[in-house]
Amino acid sequence: MKQQGKCVVEETQPIVIDVGDGAAIPKPSDKGLVSAWWLSFIGALVTLGCLLYFKPNPYWRIFKFIPDGILVTFQVTVSAIALALVIGLITGLGRISRNKYINLVASTYVEVVRGVPLLVQLFYIYYALGRVVHVPDLLAAVISMSVCYGAYMGEVFRAGITAIAVGQTEAARSLGFTRSQTMYYVILPQAWRTILPPVGNEFIALLKDTSLVSILGVADLLRRGREFASESFLYFETFTMVAVVYLIITLILSKLVSFMEERLSHHVKR
Amino acid sequence: MVKKLVLTLALVAMTASPTLAKTIVFATDATWPPMEFVNADKKITGLAVDLMEAAGKEAGFTPEFKAVAWDGIFAGLAAGKYDAICSSVTITDERKNTMDFSTPYMKVRQALVIPKKSAAKCIEDLKGKTLGAQISTTGHFAVKKTEGVKDKSYDEVGLAFEDLYNGRIDGVVCDDPVAKLYALKKDNYKDALKIACIIPADDELYGVAVQKGNKETLELINKGLAAVTAKGLDKEILKKWLGTAD
Repeated sequence: MKQQGKCVVEETQPIVIDVGDGAAIPKPSDKGLVSAWWLSFIGALVTLGCLLYFKPNPYWRIFKFIPDGILVTFQVTVSAIALALVIGLITGLGRISRNKYINLVASTYVEVVRGVPLLVQLFYIYYALGRVVHVPDLLAAVISMSVCYGAYMGEVFRAGITAIAVGQTEAARSLGFTRSQTMYYVILPQAWRTILPPVGNEFIALLKDTSLVSILGVADLLRRGREFASESFLYFETFTMVAVVYLIITLILSKLVSFMEERLSHHVKR
Repeated sequence: MVKKLVLTLALVAMTASPTLAKTIVFATDATWPPMEFVNADKKITGLAVDLMEAAGKEAGFTPEFKAVAWDGIFAGLAAGKYDAICSSVTITDERKNTMDFSTPYMKVRQALVIPKKSAAKCIEDLKGKTLGAQISTTGHFAVKKTEGVKDKSYDEVGLAFEDLYNGRIDGVVCDDPVAKLYALKKDNYKDALKIACIIPADDELYGVAVQKGNKETLELINKGLAAVTAKGLDKEILKKWLGTAD
């Protein structure tokens, strides 16, 4: 489901190995990726347009069937990412905490969550939660997704925070800032810039992984597609449509993330 | 035409002889107890499996069962991944357009299962509520057809029952043998769930589905099923799995 390695060696020379499973986020310096983005985007739009225009039956029928699924996919993604950011920030801070117990709790959480496949976690949290408290299915799906992504996000935050040079902390501390003031006024605002690209990646990866909640019976984009396909027997046509819609959404998101990234780091020469 | 007929007959005669037992691969979504399910020994078993094995003995074919997820089961048949589907498939007109069916081997109806404490009598009393069913089963179609009821589809009917037990949905609609097993026999559920009613509609008939035009396989299966009925073996099998012979 997820493979992510990130290694930042600060001070001597920055080496950043960033392998995520999210969509590639275009950077202006990467000419190949930028044109690939345009090619895929226009290709996807043209495919969608052609399918709808030249073969309204069944594509138009499918297109009319899935919009509420897209909405649910968005709801799950946006709520899960918001919750995951909060969990991630807490976990990230916990991971670098000097308090032994907080550190242990945060680290154990990350270890456990990263060791269990997301699909299994979804089943587990959804049905385990069901036995204890009554939560609606959408909320249960959001909780499951954010518990999983919170752990990954925690690692991103930790890496982003530790990537800020120690000198910054030393300077702030010698100016009389407390440890938490240093964190909130000096380190985090700077770390945000490093953190944003991988967070964007996670966001897109999460959007794609929300397709897994369809196994819980949450009527997301994939579920709607499957319902349509298994009733009409138009498997190829339906999944073509579902794939194109997912592709268009992730491409738009990756462009947005790259735009935000540029805005945030316009004063930094890369 | 005559030549073709003779050839088909010859083929049937050949394959039907016990010495040349043909293997027919049946796809089944083994999550539909007691019709077809995976038992503690990880073997696909159930009423339909017994029935096909009896039919195989009579008509001279060896049934082989392959577990396939329900929502892709018809696509796999069209793609020729297996010879037939024996998975409690109700014969419907829509399905007849894309596949051929054997003679019906069982009659079922749709049952509504609700929590014991619910006051609803039947599906009309559940307006505005959410009913679960396995994706694109006739139970799911029945829910979708009912006005004012929200439908929620699941990959497996067992997941729907778990959600009903946990209170996320207000009822489950499925074939009555399955409903009886979950609501009356399963330890966890029998104290919490009950069958509210049988949804009034025409009887549904289970048939074995084969690829359109696959006469050879279809005839073999039909021959076996006819022999099983003639000998009264089907009654025994029904009794074994359902407790009643009808």
